[in-house]
Amino acid sequence: MSDYFAGIDIGSTMTKAVIMDTAGIIATVIGPTGPEQRRLANKVMEDALGQADLPLTSITFIVSTGYGRINVPFADRQLTEITCHGRGVSYFFPEARTIIDIGGQDSKAIKIDANGRPVDFVMNDKCAAGSGRFVEVIAEALGVELEEMGPLSLKSVNPIKISNICTVWAEQEITAKRVEGVPLQDIIAGIHESLAIRVSRLARRLKIEEKVILTGGGAKNPGLVKAVATQLEHELLVPPEPLLTGAVGAALLGRDLLARARAKGTVLETRERILTEIELFGS
Amino acid sequence: MTDKNSIIASKVEPLYRDYGARAREIAAQGRKVIGYVCSFVPLELITAAGCVPFRIRGDVAEPITKGDTLLETIVCPFYRSTFDLAVKGKYDFLTGVVIPHACDSMTRSFSVWSYSLNYPYFHFVNIPSVVDDSSFVFFNAELDAYKTSLEEFTGQKISDAAIAKAIKLHNDNRRKAKAIYAYRQSDPPMISGVELTKVMTVGTSLPIEESNALFDEVLAELQQRTAAPVKKGPRILFDAACVDNIELIELIEASGANVVVDTICNGTRDYFPLADEQGDPIDALSRRYLDGINCPKTYRTNTAGTFEGDCASRFGDIAALAKDYKVDGAVLYIYKYCDPFGFEVPARKAFYDALKVPVLYLEDMYSTGTIGQLSTRVQAFLEMIG
Amino acid sequence: MAEEQKKHKKRRTATEAAASIGPMVKEFIAGTVRARQEGQTKIAYTFIVCGHEEILSALGVLPLWTENFAGICGAKRDAERFLQRAESLGFSRSLCTYALCGLGFDQWREEAGEMPPDAPWGGQVRPDFMVSTGQILCDPRAKWYQAAQQYMPDVPIYNIDLPHPLFDPKKDHREVWGYYHKYLVAQYRGFIKFVEDITGNKMDYDRLAELVALSDKTWNLIDETYKLRAARPSPMGTGDAMNTMVPINFKMASQEAYDFFVNLNAELKEKIAKGEGECEDEKYRLMWGGGLPSWFALSDFNYFNSKGCSFPVETTYRMVMPLNEMDLPETNDPVEHLAWRWLGYWTFWFDKARKRPGSEPDVERLINWIEEYHIDGVVMHEAFSCRTWHVGLIWQLNQLAKIYKPIPVLTLGANGQQKKSNRELPSLILESDIIDISSYSEVDTRNKIDAFVETLESVRQTRVER
Repeated sequence: MSDYFAGIDIGSTMTKAVIMDTAGIIATVIGPTGPEQRRLANKVMEDALGQADLPLTSITFIVSTGYGRINVPFADRQLTEITCHGRGVSYFFPEARTIIDIGGQDSKAIKIDANGRPVDFVMNDKCAAGSGRFVEVIAEALGVELEEMGPLSLKSVNPIKISNICTVWAEQEITAKRVEGVPLQDIIAGIHESLAIRVSRLARRLKIEEKVILTGGGAKNPGLVKAVATQLEHELLVPPEPLLTGAVGAALLGRDLLARARAKGTVLETRERILTEIELFGS
Repeated sequence: MTDKNSIIASKVEPLYRDYGARAREIAAQGRKVIGYVCSFVPLELITAAGCVPFRIRGDVAEPITKGDTLLETIVCPFYRSTFDLAVKGKYDFLTGVVIPHACDSMTRSFSVWSYSLNYPYFHFVNIPSVVDDSSFVFFNAELDAYKTSLEEFTGQKISDAAIAKAIKLHNDNRRKAKAIYAYRQSDPPMISGVELTKVMTVGTSLPIEESNALFDEVLAELQQRTAAPVKKGPRILFDAACVDNIELIELIEASGANVVVDTICNGTRDYFPLADEQGDPIDALSRRYLDGINCPKTYRTNTAGTFEGDCASRFGDIAALAKDYKVDGAVLYIYKYCDPFGFEVPARKAFYDALKVPVLYLEDMYSTGTIGQLSTRVQAFLEMIG
Repeated sequence: MAEEQKKHKKRRTATEAAASIGPMVKEFIAGTVRARQEGQTKIAYTFIVCGHEEILSALGVLPLWTENFAGICGAKRDAERFLQRAESLGFSRSLCTYALCGLGFDQWREEAGEMPPDAPWGGQVRPDFMVSTGQILCDPRAKWYQAAQQYMPDVPIYNIDLPHPLFDPKKDHREVWGYYHKYLVAQYRGFIKFVEDITGNKMDYDRLAELVALSDKTWNLIDETYKLRAARPSPMGTGDAMNTMVPINFKMASQEAYDFFVNLNAELKEKIAKGEGECEDEKYRLMWGGGLPSWFALSDFNYFNSKGCSFPVETTYRMVMPLNEMDLPETNDPVEHLAWRWLGYWTFWFDKARKRPGSEPDVERLINWIEEYHIDGVVMHEAFSCRTWHVGLIWQLNQLAKIYKPIPVLTLGANGQQKKSNRELPSLILESDIIDISSYSEVDTRNKIDAFVETLESVRQTRVER
């Protein structure tokens, strides 16, 4: 009988699910996180199973991670996104030693060893201006689609300097710049630089070692990737799908845990393979 | 899990939750209760004066409001909390407060405390910054002045014999505390970090004789314990300044680790150093409080000539604790805006590396609001060392 | 970066004396770089206000004022890279940013084996030893050098413990200052021995006595000179004083410092004779009542000037008081005198404060100078990274308002009738930092200043004429 492993990553902005077999990834799902995280966990699991054409009972081990990891009742184990990102990134880049993750509401930097195990980490989850949220707020203020922010900013030749450290003040500053007639791409490039400065300040609290990988929603923004690489003075590698490294890592860690248990002859506790109906409030 | 009928559940818990209840009672009976915040305040003189020393606590669940109208927000967040509670009247039963020269947050806000609160007795004890021979001469004189101020306040002379008696009582308290700590050395420990922190915290809110009696009861019960209240897990050393609440320790233990020893002010920093019971009592206090206490606020000359040697001397007691309690990892927990500890972070981290003890460094405010953020970090750290 | 520097204009000074400071400091730093290269003179990292300039000078040691270097980085708006470097080592941004700048710079220099690129004015050279004193004045100082020693483990430190008694409204400080004095003297003597050992020089106590007499003289001259600023209009403001603090704090016990104030004294007298104020049209006289300045935003003082505000007096960096107003015990021993002078300075306002109900030395100083310099309002600055000088400012203004209401005003009472009452001086608290510019918003600061000027105006309009 084949083994299948599932990883569910409930982030502050996006929820991701991944199913893997011993050969590789066989299903991936990405969707927005909402307030009903348990329902969402069920939904992405269902969608992933549909993609893989597998019943839930066939999944050998399930690991949940992310900010909402406690809201996955069918997960056999919960592990932090630090550990899962480390494992996931090293799957895509065995030479990775430093990971920088720019998420929707936080950013983090992780040092890993050759096996993808974290040896040190730093997190910034106290301030919107150090996360993807910063870019989102500005995109809205400028009336630009989030996906367009990157390509537009790459056209800039004269990025502006944002002097304020606060998202709200920065928004006021760029509105003033718009009124002055500063080109859109220069404003966006300035925003990216501002976030990149904060992120690289965070990352520098660890000793940066090659190879450096950028993950998270922020890594899908080519303008931001360029800005971070410039601030960090390091080449950055980006995984094929930067949002999935956490879920992939979670699935792989499940596989690792199972392999260790089998080698020792112990049995791992697993949860019932049911996606329980979630009662909605007020129903 | 603590048994409902245990001393800790029945006696310690209520005094931890309603902190100061006993002090309020004895103040109503006419005894003078004198508050302090910091391991550097010589308690024996307060006891020798016939008063009751009371360790002022903050409250992580109480948002700081009134205090901020008088005290800047760049002050140590724990100290801000204590001041906020004081101006809100939570410590109305005190007749005085003694503040030591321990850090700028305390020293620079002495006037703010003494002018904003109506206590009849306020005293500042000027603890030296260095440990030279001349420092002890100075400190002896400063302790005499402190003694005189207490005599003037109570209207009674304090004899050397009274101080010697107080030293013995406080030493007994420390020895009993250390005996309680010894129950953490087994694997798993026979007393959880949460339980012990409650016991130690409550101990500082009672008159010394009552604190001794309570510790005796706790020890008697621990002797009878056959089952550990916690499961085996990574053994953690909790390295911090004043952490007078269980929230973070509870989080660490809920994540599967055991906090087996600490360096905190209301923990080993208060309880482990003893005062000499022989010789001149003022001398004995002078030695204990200036040299016996290990706190970053005291500048110790680098006699080793190397960084590693200096660290080994400055943090030697941490190394001893790590060894005696067989720790697997350490949590270095520093308040934002804390100067004495803040400047030591790289040196402490290097020292833990040299000891081969993995360390999680957390910078925090003093509030339950950050517990979610701390949870991820603690769990990630435990996953790392597990 | 270039865009930022283009926009930032240097502050205009009111006096020529202040304008001469920039080149003076630049030359001083260059001197330390030369001395390091030549290797003949011992160089010591140290801090201002330790009462030890005479000792260092007598033993031939060249001091390198690390707070000054950080201030230079801040004024040049080139501190951020050093602050970030310190953060990357594990230091929290909430710590003294002078220290973070210094630590970041030192570690960079040590790791690179050379000065960081484009180091301001040639950079901060490696010292032979480091001298700190914290005690009451600033505790983090000792921690700063102790932390720096991690990156320079062969550089020894001497930490001089120099306490002074805190104010007690019910006690005369002279009851305790005897044993304080004894301790200070012991600490200074220990320091002298340490420096003798490192330099191989023996202390010449006659020379020391000469230097102490020179600095005594200079202290009195500085006080006399600054008192001239009480003239209307005030010829020199706090902006300039943040320059002229250099000879006070970095060149004390030197003929150069004494001569500087002789010249400044003459310059101020000349301006007063001509009726020249630091402000073209002086409308309001303000006191800088507390807080270290934002070194990157000294041009804000010109903004105040443009609104008709002058700053005749400040508490910051005015680290001398007239010896002829202190009743120090007599002694022929220069070290004992230094110790008495230290105590005399730190307890200067104690007697006066004890006589006024509700007063306290810092508050007493505010009241005395409000009257002496004819002050209309008080400005304070909260620098987030410095607890030493910025804790208690809110309370001081509070207490000042409670016990000192010198402005008679007419207000509308509940019954619609005009009534006379006394009110306190208007005050303003600005917030940012000493050198971390990311905490500063020029727009926000100037809005606050504008609002404050409007308050001053409205108080003046409701003021009852005497």
